[in-house]
Amino acid sequence: MRALAVLLLLFSISLAQLKVVATYPWIGELVKEIGKDRVSLYVIARGTEDPHFVVPKPSHIAKMRDADLLIAQGASLEVGFLPPLLQQSSNPKIQPGRQGFLDLSQFVELIEKPVNISRAMGDVHPEGNPHYPLDPHNIPPLARAIAERLCQLDSPNCAYYRGNLEDFLKRWNARLTEWDREFAKLKGIKVIQYHKLYDYLLQRYGMVLVGTLEPLPGIPPTGKHIEALISQAQGVKFILQDVYHEKRTAQFVAQRLNAKVVILPHDVGAVPEAKDLFSLFDEILRRLSQ
Amino acid sequence: MKKTVLLLSIFSFTFAQDSLEELKRQLEEQKRLIRELEKKIEALEKQKLEAKEEVKEEQKPAPADRTLQLRAKYDERLKAFQIYPFRQTAFLPDISLIVDTSFVARNKNDQEFKGLEIPGLYHKHEGHGHGHGNLNEKRGFNLNYAELYLYAPVDPYFDLYATIPFSEDGSEVEEAYAVTRGLPFGFQFKVGKFRSSFGRLNAQHPHVWDFANPPLVYKVFLGDDGLKEKGIQLNWLAPTPFYLLFGMEVLQGENEQSFGTEGFKVNTKKDGSGTYITVVDTKKPNLYVGFVKTSFDVGNLSVLTGLSFATGHTRINHLEGDDPHAFAGKTKLYGFDLTAKYMIDSYRYISFQGEYLYRDQKGTKYEYDSAGDLETAELKKKQGGFYSQVVWRFAQRWRVGFQYNLINKNDVKENGVKKNLPDNLPAYYAMLEYNPTEFSRIRFQVGQNRAFFQDGSRKTVNEFILQFNFAIGAHGAHPF
Repeated sequence: MRALAVLLLLFSISLAQLKVVATYPWIGELVKEIGKDRVSLYVIARGTEDPHFVVPKPSHIAKMRDADLLIAQGASLEVGFLPPLLQQSSNPKIQPGRQGFLDLSQFVELIEKPVNISRAMGDVHPEGNPHYPLDPHNIPPLARAIAERLCQLDSPNCAYYRGNLEDFLKRWNARLTEWDREFAKLKGIKVIQYHKLYDYLLQRYGMVLVGTLEPLPGIPPTGKHIEALISQAQGVKFILQDVYHEKRTAQFVAQRLNAKVVILPHDVGAVPEAKDLFSLFDEILRRLSQ
Repeated sequence: MKKTVLLLSIFSFTFAQDSLEELKRQLEEQKRLIRELEKKIEALEKQKLEAKEEVKEEQKPAPADRTLQLRAKYDERLKAFQIYPFRQTAFLPDISLIVDTSFVARNKNDQEFKGLEIPGLYHKHEGHGHGHGNLNEKRGFNLNYAELYLYAPVDPYFDLYATIPFSEDGSEVEEAYAVTRGLPFGFQFKVGKFRSSFGRLNAQHPHVWDFANPPLVYKVFLGDDGLKEKGIQLNWLAPTPFYLLFGMEVLQGENEQSFGTEGFKVNTKKDGSGTYITVVDTKKPNLYVGFVKTSFDVGNLSVLTGLSFATGHTRINHLEGDDPHAFAGKTKLYGFDLTAKYMIDSYRYISFQGEYLYRDQKGTKYEYDSAGDLETAELKKKQGGFYSQVVWRFAQRWRVGFQYNLINKNDVKENGVKKNLPDNLPAYYAMLEYNPTEFSRIRFQVGQNRAFFQDGSRKTVNEFILQFNFAIGAHGAHPF
């Protein structure tokens, strides 16, 4: 009898927890900040992976089957793996158009939205540049959106989520002032990046993007393009390199331009130092301030 | 008392007068302030507007005369805008076209190649009613297909998919099916014509295959087109922490290699002068398929494995042609598949994939002897084989792979007497791929097929295929 009661209790606890699946680690961090122990979390991609090329492993399908909420970065970044996973999940709750599907790109202003679009332009997203989480000012509205959606799905715990949100925002805004002050020192420096991955950060803090190593988004560097880039670029301080692409091209260009290759994390877990959202931006700042 | 009231009212009046003056003064002050603020705002807005225009100008040059443009637009709308207000183009489904074309070099000419057979397993026959030929069928240039693919949600309850490959000779509806979007408890229901989920490769479209042709075991047991049938599928994703899927299908069962529904009439004489024996249609639907698939991860290694079973009646009618024969009976197919993919990083992986297929077929064979008299015999076939392949994506755009095919069981008993058929039927293929993007592919494939025979002697087929595959339009990502 007592065993049954314990079992029932355990069952009700596991029922009480809202099951959330996030596509990327940074989203998972927001969910952790707001949901804490009242949600169970599964994150699909790893921070070290190229966010465009996540493998739609069947193991993810099993986790999505029972999810109450799926949170995506959106802007077609997940187009290569999320649609088949969603289709195979057999879970009506998290399908787009339902309350259990949250597309965070709807809550931020996307930049670089193309007027005309063709695949001849490479891997261009019709919605705009999808790498918006790297502007730390974009985080608060997204945290709020997640808290509100958690409230809608789990109203008894709403006050708890809102409390956690306020606590998070207080800490975040405090750091934001610091980051704004420190990043401001980088204003005007010229950088080259591999892919258009850091545009939101660069735009926020007035760093100047001279060019990308990729000739077109998603197309690997070519000799011709690199030569043209080198001949045009002047006074470039950093080559911003993500963790997942090859680094030889960046090193070659850095050598030729007398610039420095900086490997910048794009997500939580991309480098060991980026343990959460706070340390992600701390680490980006640290690496750029060297 | 009255006096006091009067005094009070007078006093309050004068006081009010005083405060009125004060108010007026304050109001003037306020007004002045507002005017100032307004001026400031105006100035600011002007600045902002200028700034905005500057930004816009940077992005794209403004037309020469904006007012003219605007007026033109306005006039245009007054005239024509309401001609078709019921436009539904927003509901256009995802449309894509996949084109597959190849160059083939082969040591057998097309006539010889067409005449080859795999004893007890496969032979070509005329008129099996296809809109298209087999992949890479002819020497020289082939247009394998231009495949139209459509997808859109029907409503909140169903998704609809259609695959319509066109060839030079016509088109066919390869797939047209609806899948439920909202069944509870992990159930999903599919209805229409679709690729059966039997095995691993069968449900995949040819443009996602790792090699240019279907594996030998697919060719002999399921036909060059695979198991594509009209029917229903119900599958259930189990609520386990790992992937576990159960499914069953009820299908019409018209597959040309192993099943078939239409009965036939056989004359006791080859020249048609005898009496007819009637073989009735099978019950319809005719084919039942069951499968279970499971998957788990070990670090960077993902394993997907499954068991499949199909059972149905068989009607094979090759009574037209030079060598008339027919078969009526029952067939059971068993399949085991295993895929193991090791992710090295975001772009590189090594993948192993293998499938074993086993066929158990029983029934009556109708054939004519040399004198032209009908011979019926009880035929029992127990046949099996596999393919296994390794594909290494060694760079973002490059893949290399090797596939080994073998049919190693070919037991055929006629009236209880074992026929002496070859049971060592291999084929080997190697490929090198260059994928400029996920929308285009160039593949070199070389291979040797030692499964083909002609008049009892083995005919080795060597071939080289240069394959091009392109996809345009809105085409969804592929599952694992």
